[in-house]
Amino acid sequence: MHAIYEIVSGPMVWLAAIIFILGSLYRLIFMGRLAAKKDPMVFSYLSVYYSLRSIFHWIIPFASVNMRKHPIMTVVAFAFHICLFAVPIFLCAHIILINEAWQVKWWYLPNPIADVMTLIVIGACIFFLGRRLLLREVRYLTTFSDFLILAGVAAPFVTGFWSYHQYPGHETAAILHIISGEIILVMIPFTRLSHMLFFPFLRGYAGSEFGAVRNAVDW
Amino acid sequence: MVVYSEKETGVETKHLLMLPAIGLVILALSVIAAYSQGDIPFVKDSAFENPRRPPVAFYHDEHNEKAGLLECNGCHHVYENGKKLESSASVGMECSQCHLASENNSAIDLIRVYHLQCRGCHLKKNAGPILCGQCHQKNDN
Ligand code: HEC
Ligand code: HEC
Ligand code: HEC
Ligand code: HEC
Repeated sequence: MHAIYEIVSGPMVWLAAIIFILGSLYRLIFMGRLAAKKDPMVFSYLSVYYSLRSIFHWIIPFASVNMRKHPIMTVVAFAFHICLFAVPIFLCAHIILINEAWQVKWWYLPNPIADVMTLIVIGACIFFLGRRLLLREVRYLTTFSDFLILAGVAAPFVTGFWSYHQYPGHETAAILHIISGEIILVMIPFTRLSHMLFFPFLRGYAGSEFGAVRNAVDW
Repeated sequence: MVVYSEKETGVETKHLLMLPAIGLVILALSVIAAYSQGDIPFVKDSAFENPRRPPVAFYHDEHNEKAGLLECNGCHHVYENGKKLESSASVGMECSQCHLASENNSAIDLIRVYHLQCRGCHLKKNAGPILCGQCHQKNDN
């Protein structure tokens, strides 16, 4: 237990963080190069104003027509993404460990609230799973890797909940919790989870295109 | 209900009344024994007013005997000019008396030193609890 803990909470954290950062940089630079090759004008008409306007528009619930068409999906997706990021970053236990390592600390969520938000993430994963299995138009687009990604996202939350509540086997759950967090970090650049990296550029691109076209001076 | 007379049971009522009294004496003696041994069942720093985790079981003397910790100042230390004094100890003081002393120290920093001291040694010696749930155990009655 001691040896596993030391490896998993030491060198493996560094390895996961380095793969995540270098992998993300690689994906972003590679995608930028590809975009420049396929559409050499892309960077010249990317507008900061329209990019931010579009990003902003799409991070407000129900601001876009597409979201108004799918109200349940919108609510679940927003709750999911907020909790997905807020829980790991603002969890008291994580900040305690970070403070032990580097003596930095920041604001944290009360445990009972983090607990509910964890359940929201797990519930949303079950919802997404059900959607993929039951809705024909979604099932049609689903591949096996989608299920793997969903499991990968849910795993740190299920194991974290398990170890916090000290259900039987919580020691193993705590070790699996650390490992699954590292796995998801490594998965981000190389799977569809990379939408986290590309989202701002995708919206920026679409926003600039629409914004610039609609407001173009028509000679 | 069956009522036994004194003759049937062979016990006089007077003697029956002695039983709770003897019990009380034994209880009092064991409490005194427990206190004189100085064994505290939990680490309970008064700085944590609203604990977020279950308390940490820590039978002070038993723990230190088992772990072979003879020096009190391995834990109850004293520093001067950033150096640990080998010959002094801060026995009888709570960790928070020094570790929350400066303005920019927060509860998180007090937790930090507890964890570094306890978990740090357990990792070094390959023995003793290291995970949150192993120290902060639920329903540890
Ligand atoms: C493994 C670390 C460790 C060692 C070694 C250690 N102590 Fe302690 N001691 C503690 C902790 C932790 C507390 C609890 C502090 C609290 O609850 O605020 C404590 C509390 C005490 C208390 C207060 C008890 C009470 O009822 O409040 C006394 C007295 C004490 N220790 C004496 C000693 C003596 C004497 C030695 C050496 C023989 C010693 N300790 C060695 C960690 C240690
Ligand atoms: C008499 C005051 C005093 C008491 C009581 C005290 N400490 Fe300390 N402790 C210090 C000082 C001073 C330092 C050195 C801080 C520094 O180097 O910045 C220190 C350092 C530490 C460190 C090293 C911190 C680091 O960043 O490496 C740990 C761990 C620690 N103490 C734990 C404890 C624990 C646990 C207790 C209670 C059992 C305790 N201390 C009681 C004064 C005290
Ligand atoms: C200097 C080393 C050292 C320090 C400091 C230390 N421990 Fe330990 N602890 C040990 C060792 C060694 C063991 C294993 C003893 C054994 O079972 O052989 C142990 C075992 C334990 C156990 C399991 C006891 C059992 O009966 O199985 C608990 C609980 C524990 N420690 C709590 C604490 C807490 C809480 C602190 C901080 C206040 C602490 N320890 C500080 C060395 C240390
Ligand atoms: C080796 C034993 C040990 C381990 C492992 C440990 N703790 Fe602690 N922790 C302590 C001790 C001892 C204290 C001081 C308790 C007190 O004085 O009430 C403490 C205090 C705390 C406190 C402040 C008191 C409270 O309940 O609000 C929090 C929060 C905490 N720990 C969280 C954690 C978390 C999260 C983990 C896992 C990342 C963890 N601990 C792992 C021993 C441990």
